[in-house]
Amino acid sequence: MPLLECRGVSRRFGGLTAIDSVDLAVEPGEVRALIGPNGAGKSTLFNVITGVLPPTDGQIFFDGARITGLPVHRIIQQGVARTFQLTHLFPALTARENVRIAAQARRSDRWRPIAGGRVFAATRRIADQALEQLRLSAFADTRAGMLSHGNQRLLEIAMAVAQEPRLLLLDEPTQGLSVEETEQAIGILRDMLAKGNLTVILVEHDMEVVFGLADKIVVLHRGRVIANGPPADVKANEEVQRAYLGGLQ
Amino acid sequence: MRGRIVLAAVVALICASAPLLPPFTLTLLTEGLIFGLFAMSLDLMVGYTRLYSFGHAAAYGLGAYSTALILIHFDWPLPIGMLAGVAISTLIAIPIAWLCTRSTGVSFAMLTLAFAQLGYAMLYRFKEFTGGSDGIGGIPRPAGPFGLDFFQGKLGYFYVVMFCLLASFALCSVLVTSPFGAVLAGIRENEAKTRALGYNTRAYKIAVVVVAYALGSLAGALYTAFAGFVAPELFFWLVSGRVLIMVVVGGAGTLIGPIIGGVFFVVLEHQLSEVTELWPLAFGAIFIAFVMLAPEGIWGLLSRLEKSDARDRKPDFRDQTFDKNIRNPTSGNHAAS
Repeated sequence: MPLLECRGVSRRFGGLTAIDSVDLAVEPGEVRALIGPNGAGKSTLFNVITGVLPPTDGQIFFDGARITGLPVHRIIQQGVARTFQLTHLFPALTARENVRIAAQARRSDRWRPIAGGRVFAATRRIADQALEQLRLSAFADTRAGMLSHGNQRLLEIAMAVAQEPRLLLLDEPTQGLSVEETEQAIGILRDMLAKGNLTVILVEHDMEVVFGLADKIVVLHRGRVIANGPPADVKANEEVQRAYLGGLQ
Repeated sequence: MRGRIVLAAVVALICASAPLLPPFTLTLLTEGLIFGLFAMSLDLMVGYTRLYSFGHAAAYGLGAYSTALILIHFDWPLPIGMLAGVAISTLIAIPIAWLCTRSTGVSFAMLTLAFAQLGYAMLYRFKEFTGGSDGIGGIPRPAGPFGLDFFQGKLGYFYVVMFCLLASFALCSVLVTSPFGAVLAGIRENEAKTRALGYNTRAYKIAVVVVAYALGSLAGALYTAFAGFVAPELFFWLVSGRVLIMVVVGGAGTLIGPIIGGVFFVVLEHQLSEVTELWPLAFGAIFIAFVMLAPEGIWGLLSRLEKSDARDRKPDFRDQTFDKNIRNPTSGNHAAS
């Protein structure tokens, strides 16, 4: 059974159809890349999956259960984590506290107004592990707003990891990174994927990242799925060549 | 830390010297502490959750009027009457919080203002019950339970106010350093991200607004028995504006700062109003000066002074207060250094 399944999902904004009857099934443990030109509907699809925008049409299933139309926090609580295309952090809090709040999010005692010692101790441990995994331990006590752009991108991934999700949605993790930073980020991501049994949907423009990490690739163009399959097949697909990959060999 | 010890010493000193103070000073101090409690309750919303309320007078007025009506119409002892007043106000605060948190930012501020003005208008609409523009006078401080009557005197009442303030402060301190408080900090910093992490941010906001209203109504209830009368002005938007200024000038997001701000402004007002009728002008000037020169407020300034002579410390930002408080003292692992 797929972990995430979209059946005929559409989202319209007035006259504009941002995503158009998308069918997508992601199996547990796979890394699926989602590519396509700007405005293809990639981020919109993330917003629809996580409940930020309800779909105009179609159904979404997570682990077999229908999640269409549920509020954001209910969908996330089932084990979905996401990062944003534009970095979303808690700038005045330390890097560790950013990740710790993420680690607290799925605990049943996350709301405790008193006697939170145990919550803090346990989530701190998870936070420090996640920071180490993303090689950010040196910056644990630095305020998130003071980190470099590259480290902010990694911090947001650390937060997603600390949520211990079953499905991880990464929206352009290497966006705005230098060549060296991108290389480093790919290494870190690869280690992370090798370790955990994570299911990932990855939006990315950098084809090196995509072909380096993904098991399968979905290509969106003007809101429609125009190709879906292993990297080699997608690369060879004529329509994809025309719509997106252009000069790529 | 040293600041807190000094503060505890100051509180102990005030409590010990209260019997020796001239009656008028004691009255002024009591009123200042009531306003300090009121401002601190607003700080939960403004400083810790970045929910700007422009209608916190609603909490004050609700507490004051419900306590006044209970004390007038029932022969209940003062503490029980006040608790009942706070309980009623808290219940009324729940639907208000539910409605106001449907919106954010400026519309949130306007909605809170609308509810305060609604309360103000209702006092005139239900004249027979509320006394209209005359308000309600001659509110007693009934003795009991168990024969307690020390609070009927000026000094005893001062201690009641001080006790309520300290208990509320302890409650707020625990709240903002708890896991719940960490989520509030998340909402303050980036609400969309907090929601994307799986927190039902609306529920947290409703909870913090209700707690803020409950403590604000306690301040109102204390005012009722302090002044012996209530008037519609308690609901007026000027009160909301004043308490917001007290929070900002005292130091938002510090709990202690707004208490100091409350006492500071009450004392200042009494001193200035003896000299000139234009005392609100001074209010405005002080507010502008603080916003421009010391946006971290009185308490922030004091902490900065303390920090400047303690070497080897990072610059303190008021938004970091939260982190500092929850940092585990046993594991001084500063990987960065």
